[in-house]
Amino acid sequence: MALLDMTGIHKRFGQVSALADVDFDLEAGEVHALVGENGAGKSTLMKVLAGVQRADSGTMTLAGSVVRFGSVNEAQAHGVVMVYQELALVPSLSVAENLFLGKLPKVVGYGALFERARRLLTRVELEVDPGTEVARLSIGEKQLVEIARALAREGRILVLDEPTAALSATESDRLFAIIDKVKQGGVAVVYISHRLEEVFRIADRVTVLRDGERVGTRTVADTSADEIVQLMVGKSVRHHERTPRTTERTLGTFEASGPGLASMSISLRAGEIVGLAGVIGSGRERILPTLFGLGGSARWAGESVRGPREAIRRGIVLVPSDRKTQGLVVELSVEENVSLATLSRLQRFGFMDRKREREQTRRWIDRLALRPPDPRKSVRELSGGNQQKVVIAKALATEPEVLLLDEPTRGVDVGARAELYDVIDDLSQRGLGLVLSSSDSEELLRLSDRILVFRGGRVTAELLPPFAYEEVVAHVTGARQLA
Amino acid sequence: MSLARVNWREIVARFGLVMALVALVIVLSTLSDRFLTTSNIINVLRQISINAIIAAGMTVVIIGRGIDLSVGSLLALTGVVGAGLAVGGLPAGFAILAALALGTALGTFNGAFVAYAGIAPFIVTLAGLTIFRGAALAFTDGRPISGLPPLFRTIGYGDFLGLPIPVWIMLGFLILTHVILRYTALGRAVYAIGGNEEAARLSGIPVRRVILFTFAYSGMAAALASMVLTGRLNSAQPSAGVMFELDAIAAVVVGGTSLFGGRGGVFGTLIGALIIGVINNGMNLLNVPSFYQQIVKGGVILGALLIERLVATRRT
Repeated sequence: MALLDMTGIHKRFGQVSALADVDFDLEAGEVHALVGENGAGKSTLMKVLAGVQRADSGTMTLAGSVVRFGSVNEAQAHGVVMVYQELALVPSLSVAENLFLGKLPKVVGYGALFERARRLLTRVELEVDPGTEVARLSIGEKQLVEIARALAREGRILVLDEPTAALSATESDRLFAIIDKVKQGGVAVVYISHRLEEVFRIADRVTVLRDGERVGTRTVADTSADEIVQLMVGKSVRHHERTPRTTERTLGTFEASGPGLASMSISLRAGEIVGLAGVIGSGRERILPTLFGLGGSARWAGESVRGPREAIRRGIVLVPSDRKTQGLVVELSVEENVSLATLSRLQRFGFMDRKREREQTRRWIDRLALRPPDPRKSVRELSGGNQQKVVIAKALATEPEVLLLDEPTRGVDVGARAELYDVIDDLSQRGLGLVLSSSDSEELLRLSDRILVFRGGRVTAELLPPFAYEEVVAHVTGARQLA
Repeated sequence: MSLARVNWREIVARFGLVMALVALVIVLSTLSDRFLTTSNIINVLRQISINAIIAAGMTVVIIGRGIDLSVGSLLALTGVVGAGLAVGGLPAGFAILAALALGTALGTFNGAFVAYAGIAPFIVTLAGLTIFRGAALAFTDGRPISGLPPLFRTIGYGDFLGLPIPVWIMLGFLILTHVILRYTALGRAVYAIGGNEEAARLSGIPVRRVILFTFAYSGMAAALASMVLTGRLNSAQPSAGVMFELDAIAAVVVGGTSLFGGRGGVFGTLIGALIIGVINNGMNLLNVPSFYQQIVKGGVILGALLIERLVATRRT
């Protein structure tokens, strides 16, 4: 009998079906990998399991009895523990205190506490003093502390969500050894990953999700990376749909290097859209901030770019990956946000030229079809897609030569996404050079003129149209290296 | 969602402060027939002028997500230096300009530590609070400076078009601050930084320079208030301005400027200063003992913020 049996799980968010009739089961002492493209439903399924979200329908059977978790605490009481990508430790407390957080005795006897902590740390082979402040640990060590904490709670099911994203190769190896050990102890491990080489290295079984449905479960010994990629992308192989706008005129070449990034160069032609593919931790997510002068070192057309101001002055502008924390000032209006990067241009003797400002805002509201088309609307009240348009308008108002787009459609609904694609297409027709970094392979296929694949901090492949969906996925997940 | 309710919230959010002030005035005028007289109103305006000037500078700092605790001490230091220069023979006008320049410089000193060394504004200006106070006491050896040229007295007691000079200075400075905040690129940058510093930086706004400006401006405001106070007292006291930072912050927050930055304005600060001033004045007229006055003042500050909080959370 399986340790866990999830059957017929449904979950909708508004109009969008995140999970449709998904079955998933776990045996004690197995590592079960969960793979799929972004938005396939992996995280949602695990959130249902861990009590973060409730399924709309479906049943969960844990060790023979039907369960329904209303909260994370309830799930943990049943031994289901999730280790998040964003680590859930308190940095200012000691390792020991973190291990027993929420389970601390009223009066903390440090001797006994440290002794128990030491035993747990041995189980994950982490040689740190239990009194060490967590803030001083590396990410890999923090992860092991989280796993130890899960063991402390007598976890029977451990969910790891892309645990190696921020780890070095040696740290990853160490993690795999611990996972193996934990598994020997009878714990079932769910392993969410985009990296197939890891899946084939540590998993016993693998389940593939696509668009909220389970498309297959395979025993790792009886499958191949190619088969998994096929399952991930589906039967129909989609090719490049875009008519290339690229001209022969070269705008310039970026040269970049930095922590976690090998030195590389990316040349860009007018009208070209260069897509950047790669999982989190591949270096792909660092490259655009680096090119914009935010850490690492970058040069454009032979001269170094030392910060956002200099970048903007030289015609390079970034649409950052997180519009809430990096893109928008939500207290301000649409107009005030659109003007933010062009304040120096919209002033005369220090005073804002309100007429020119309004003209500029209207122009971008029209061109990007912002809804509602009201310059005075607070951006807080706009939908995700329209907020993103405001960020793009702000960037375009600087009249850049090069637009760096970092995850431009993250958290944007399908309709608005199509509109943003049209906007991006239009920009390339007008001769801008665009660099598009995305975790969404379909988006890259749809928009790119060429795709650079990142792995381990370097560009490992350059793909040219017509692109095959499975080829992109195979490169990004590392299936190509396994074949 | 009924339309009437939305409108009601909108009205409270926008005009709640003014309504509170009007209500306060009505209540006090029924309690005391001396309250709603021209001379008393002018008296209130004169009493709040010093706090309102400091609070205007404080508003700029707070909108930029900072805080300036050093204003009271800075007021004392610029006062004794300005008065010292004037008594020492420098023409009074130049002495005043020198005091203003010193205030700006001391504010810049605060701002440099915040913007370039990355130290929290609370800590930097707390240090400024003791440093400037110590400097003021050292400069005067703890004694007040008197025997000032007549210009100071004019500033403190003069009238122009029926209003006291301190009131004119207050109004002028409030307008200047309003214009900077609402009509200049610099003001826009202050709001942007207070709202989301990271987004401002990625938009190419020179964040550090703008933060430096906000503290410099607050320093200048405190120095200006210092000149008014020196004129009122006709002497400069090294112990002047103790706890003035709290009155200024109270006026700012009662006036609806968010301590989390990015929102607010100097008009609200004026209303905030008026509310506090009217309460003080009213309680004096009603002979409320000063111990109780402090309790009431604190209660009003809490009440104002509580109402604002309720309105703000229900709106979103």
